[in-house]
Amino acid sequence: MPDILSGVLRALSFMLQLQAAGAVFFAAAFGPALTISAAGIRKLAQASATIAVCVVAVQYVLEAARMAGDMAGIFDDQLQALAWDSNVGGSFVVRELGLLLIVAGTRRVAAVRGFALLGVLGAVLVAVSFTLMGHTVHHAHRPILAPLLLAHLLIVAFWFGALWPLCLVSQRESRERAARVVRLFSATAFWLVPVILIVGVAMAALLLPDIAALRQPYGRLLVTKVILFAVLMALAALNKWRLGPALQSPDLQAGRAFRGVVISEYVIIAGVLAVTAVMTEFFSPE
Amino acid sequence: MKRVFSGLLCCVAATAVLAHAHLKTAVPADGATVNAAPPQVVLNFSEPAHLTACWLQKEDGPKQKIADLPTTPSARITVPLPRLEPGVYVLSWRVVGDDTHIVPGRIRFTVAPAGH
Repeated sequence: MPDILSGVLRALSFMLQLQAAGAVFFAAAFGPALTISAAGIRKLAQASATIAVCVVAVQYVLEAARMAGDMAGIFDDQLQALAWDSNVGGSFVVRELGLLLIVAGTRRVAAVRGFALLGVLGAVLVAVSFTLMGHTVHHAHRPILAPLLLAHLLIVAFWFGALWPLCLVSQRESRERAARVVRLFSATAFWLVPVILIVGVAMAALLLPDIAALRQPYGRLLVTKVILFAVLMALAALNKWRLGPALQSPDLQAGRAFRGVVISEYVIIAGVLAVTAVMTEFFSPE
Repeated sequence: MKRVFSGLLCCVAATAVLAHAHLKTAVPADGATVNAAPPQVVLNFSEPAHLTACWLQKEDGPKQKIADLPTTPSARITVPLPRLEPGVYVLSWRVVGDDTHIVPGRIRFTVAPAGH
């Protein structure tokens, strides 16, 4: 029971944290080009971060239950102390701090530029927290793995977290403005998103003991992620070269088609995050 | 490309440190049949691990939680057993390794009836 619950919460928390961090990055990068969609994007980041604070806390409390193999472990002082003293405790503190900074940095009064930087700092801290626990911590190649994982997460957050804001932009902004923001986003994503695959392959090369490990559960899930990533690349290309530029046309269907593909990307990335949650929670690369 | 990837993997494999605490050996061993009931089970892991929970189950009987587990992490963990009657037993556990991953495991052993 605690394993299943923890796995579900892990997948959900991945989505919420990356959504919050990504919406902050989107607002920071394309904020000057936004008008009426800016408030919705800020609220999206704030709501995602607020819910994530709670989900991450419950997930942390469940660690002791997972150690004990039943829910009663939640009330076991020794196991809770073990979780707190481990890397899980340190990662939890940094992650919650990052999420709270996002909440603070996306408040209405934080529209002042300097204060809004708190949100960006929070988003980076959330990504950093992932490098403080898990398979990379005690690995011989940690000095390489930790920056790779950080880069991987920051770019995934930038991409995944931008999808919902892009829908808001295409729905609320004028045709010209929406097309311009989509063009700006695509130009940035064009260079950044392939880095996700390059960094992912480099991490797999460092973490997996040999090529045969790809036939083990961890390796199979990794291959599943790569296949889903290829599908995502095709959808992203469709948006960059066809549906994004078409937003400028007066055709109402153009906006719907664009949002349809963006929503498909969102669902597939959510699937990738669920696969990642299962992969990193229950299986080992070796 | 495949050659490059395989070569990279081979280079890395030589120095890679395996992350999770895996069971290497156990006494009695997984699948073993012993003539006398063992007073304890010794579990040898790939790295120091913290035993956080342990259960013993006889055939289709209920799982019994084992108390008084060692409190310090070790690569060699001794689990005290109650007095065992002849039958098939499954010892299952959860350990936490250095990487904080919670790893479940189990072994099955048989205590033979006296005179066998």
